[in-house]
Amino acid sequence: MRRQHLRGRLDFKYSPYLYISPFFILFALVGLFPLIYTFVVSINDWDLLGGAGDWVGLKNYQAELASPLFWNSLFNTFSIFLLSAIPQLVVATFIAAMLDQNIRAKTFWRMSVLVPYVVTPVAVTLIFSTAFDEKYGLINNLLGALNLDTIAWKTDVFPSHMAIATMVNWRWTGYNALILLAAMQAVPRELHESAAIDGAGMIRRFFSITLPSIRPTMIFVIITATIGGLQIFTEPKLFNPSSSVPGGPDRQYQTTVLYLWDLAFNRGDFGRASAVAWMLFLIIIVIGVINFLISGTIASSSDKRGPRRIPGRKAKRIKSHPSGSLRESANDE
Amino acid sequence: MLVSPHSHKQDLNGVTVNPSRTARLAKVVALSSSIALLAAGCASGDSKDAAQPASADNPVSLTITTFGTQGLDPLYKQYEADNPGITIEATNIDTGGNALTDWKTKQAAGAGLPDVQAVEEGWLGQVMTVSDSFTDLNEYGAKDIAGDWVDWKVQQATDADGRTIGYGTDIGPMGLCYNSKLFKAAGLPSDREQVAELFGGADSTWDDFFSVGEDYVKKTDKAFYDQSGFVWNAMVNQLDEGYYKADGSLNIEGNTALRERWDQLSAAASKGLSSAQTQWDWGKGQAFVDGSFAVMPCPGWMLGNVKGQVEGAGGDASDGWDFADVFPGGAANWGGAFLTVPSTSKHPAEAAKLAQYLTNATSQATSFEEAGAFPSNIEAQKSKAVTGENDLTKFFNGAPIGEILSNRAEGVKAQYKGADDSVIQEQVFGPATIAIDKGTDGDTAWNTALSTLQELEIK
Repeated sequence: MRRQHLRGRLDFKYSPYLYISPFFILFALVGLFPLIYTFVVSINDWDLLGGAGDWVGLKNYQAELASPLFWNSLFNTFSIFLLSAIPQLVVATFIAAMLDQNIRAKTFWRMSVLVPYVVTPVAVTLIFSTAFDEKYGLINNLLGALNLDTIAWKTDVFPSHMAIATMVNWRWTGYNALILLAAMQAVPRELHESAAIDGAGMIRRFFSITLPSIRPTMIFVIITATIGGLQIFTEPKLFNPSSSVPGGPDRQYQTTVLYLWDLAFNRGDFGRASAVAWMLFLIIIVIGVINFLISGTIASSSDKRGPRRIPGRKAKRIKSHPSGSLRESANDE
Repeated sequence: MLVSPHSHKQDLNGVTVNPSRTARLAKVVALSSSIALLAAGCASGDSKDAAQPASADNPVSLTITTFGTQGLDPLYKQYEADNPGITIEATNIDTGGNALTDWKTKQAAGAGLPDVQAVEEGWLGQVMTVSDSFTDLNEYGAKDIAGDWVDWKVQQATDADGRTIGYGTDIGPMGLCYNSKLFKAAGLPSDREQVAELFGGADSTWDDFFSVGEDYVKKTDKAFYDQSGFVWNAMVNQLDEGYYKADGSLNIEGNTALRERWDQLSAAASKGLSSAQTQWDWGKGQAFVDGSFAVMPCPGWMLGNVKGQVEGAGGDASDGWDFADVFPGGAANWGGAFLTVPSTSKHPAEAAKLAQYLTNATSQATSFEEAGAFPSNIEAQKSKAVTGENDLTKFFNGAPIGEILSNRAEGVKAQYKGADDSVIQEQVFGPATIAIDKGTDGDTAWNTALSTLQELEIK
C-alpha cells in the first residue's frame, strides 16, 4: 500500500520530466554537444585529416579576425542579407495586406504565394543560376535583345549579391506574407470599422492600425529572417557550382557559412573553421539581443497579443486596457 | 538534471525511498538512453571472423565508394558470381569533388569509410599526409604485380615509406581535341595527322600551340581554346616539379619555369585566344556547338565529357570534333584514380583482392568500353577493347582513341603533389586564370595569385 502510494507520488512528480526528456536529450546530443565540441576544436590547432594538434588558445580567433577573407565573407553576408531582408519584408507585408482584403478565391491566392517555398532551394538555385548565366543566361539575353549592356552576374560583387538576394526573396517572401497575414487576421475588425467611420482611408488604417497591431509578429519574422539570412549557404554554394573557389573566383559572394565550409573541408583547417562558426554564433546572438531590446521598447503594443507569462499578463491588463492606445491613435483626427 | 534530491520526501517516506527512486531513475535513464541510441542511429556490428576467407558458408559484404563514371558496375556482378559468399555494396558519388568531401569527412570522423575507396590523383597529396590510415597492399601481393602498370602510376601510389596504398585504375594522358570543321573554315589543315604536324608533331611546344592559335584568331576573329584554366593545369602538370619541389617545399615564387609558362599563357589570353568559358559548364554545352572555340586540351576521360556536352546541347558527331595525337610541351597526364583499402576495413584481405580484380587487365578493358577510362594497366592498353572501335571513336570522326592515348601516355612522369596542391590549383590559380581570360594582365594576375597564396597561408 505504502509502496503504491509512493509510486503514485513519484509518478506525479517525475513523469513530466520523462515526457519532455526526448527533446532535451536530442537537443543535448545534436545542439549542445556540437556547440561545446566546436568550441573545443576552435581552441586547438586541428587539421581535418590529421586530427587534434596543439592547444592554441584563442589564436584561431585572432588569426580569423586578422584575415581579410573572413571580413570579406562578413561583408558579403550582410550585403546579401540586407538586399534580401528589406525588400522581402516590404513586399511580404504588402502581399499580406492585399490577401487580407475581401478577395475572391482566397485559398487559391494564399496557396499561390506559398508555392515558391515548397520548391527545394537546390532546384530554385539551379534554375536561377542558369537564368543569371553571363554568356548564355536568359536575363543577359533579354538585356542584349533590348540593346542594353549585359551584367556580370557571377563576377561583379553587387550584381552577384542582387542575384542571390533574388533567390532568397523568391523563396521566403510568400512564407513571410502568410505569417503576417495570420497576424493581420487577428486584428479586431471593429477597429478598422470604427476608423473607417471616422473617415480614415485604407492607407491611413494600414499604417495606424494594421502595422502597430502586427508588430510582435513582425519582430518574429525579422528575427527568423536575420538568423536565416546570416546562415545563408545553399544559394551562394550552388550559384556557380563549377567555380573552383566556393562563392565565386574572387570570393565575390562567399558568405560566412560558405567560408567556414571552405576552410574546413577544402583547406582542411578545422580549428579555424570552428572559430569562425563560433564567431558567427556570437554575431547572431548579438543581433538577436538587439532585436530583443528593440522589441522591449515597443512592448506596450505587444502585451495584448498574449505574452507567455500569465501573471504578467494579468498585471498589465489592470494597468492599461488592451487596444485602448490603438483606438486613440485611430481616433486621432 | 532529471531528478533533484528533495529532502522532505525522505522524511516522509523513510528508507524505502532510495531503492525505489533509484529504480525509477534507472528506468528513466534506460528509456532516455534508448531514445538517444535511436537518435544516434544503431550501429550494426559484423560478427564474422575477419581472418577466414569468404565462402558460401562465411559470407562477406564489401562496401566500395567510387565517383564519376569509372565503368566498374558490370564488374561487381561478375566478381560476386565468381566468388560465392561475397556481396558488393557499391556507392557512386557524382563528382570527384563531392567524393573528396565525402572521404575527408569520414576520414576525419574515423568511421564510415568503405572497404574499398576510390581516390583521385588530384587529392593524392592530401591522402599521402595520412597514408598510414590505408592498408599497405604490398602485404597482399601488390609488389609481385607492380609491373602490370605503367611505372609512374605505381610510383604515385607509393608513399615515402615504400608502402603501396592503391591499385591504379585509369590514367589521363592528354591529347588535343579540335574541331575539324572550324579548322577547315579557318583555312587550316583539318586531317588528324596534318593537325598533329601543324602543332609541331612529336616536338610540339606551347609556342607552336599559341602561334597556331594567333593565326586562327586572326583568320576567324573567334577564340581558339575554351578557357585558360585547363591549359594551365596541363602546363603545370607536365613540368618535372609543379607547385611543390620533390622535397615537399613550396615552389611557386621564383619558379622561373612556372613563370615563363604563365607569361606565355597570359599573353595568349590577352590576344583573344581564350573564349573565357566557365569551366565544366560551357553554357550547358552550347559553346561546343556554336563555334566559340576550336581546341581543347583533352585527357582521355575528357573525351566522354566532350561527347556529353555536345549531345547535351543537341549536337552530334557531325559537329566535327576530332582528337589529334599531339600535345604541346611534351607528355602530360591529368587525373586518373586509384582503388585503396582504408585500414578501418574489417576484411582487408578480401577488399585488397577485390581492388586487385577491379584493376586487372580484363577489368580495365571493360571499364574503358563502359566509360572511356583509359587503362593504366599496360596489357589492357593493348587490348582489342581499347584499340578497337566504340561509341567514342565514332563520335570523334573515327579517331583511333585507344592508340592515340597509349602514345600520349609515353613519357609521362609522376610529379610530386604536395598536401595543398589541389587548393593551389583551385583557389590560387583558378581565379588567376579566370582573371587573365577577362582581360587582367599577366603580371597583375600573377601578383594577385601570390598574395592569395599568402592569404590562404599555404606553406
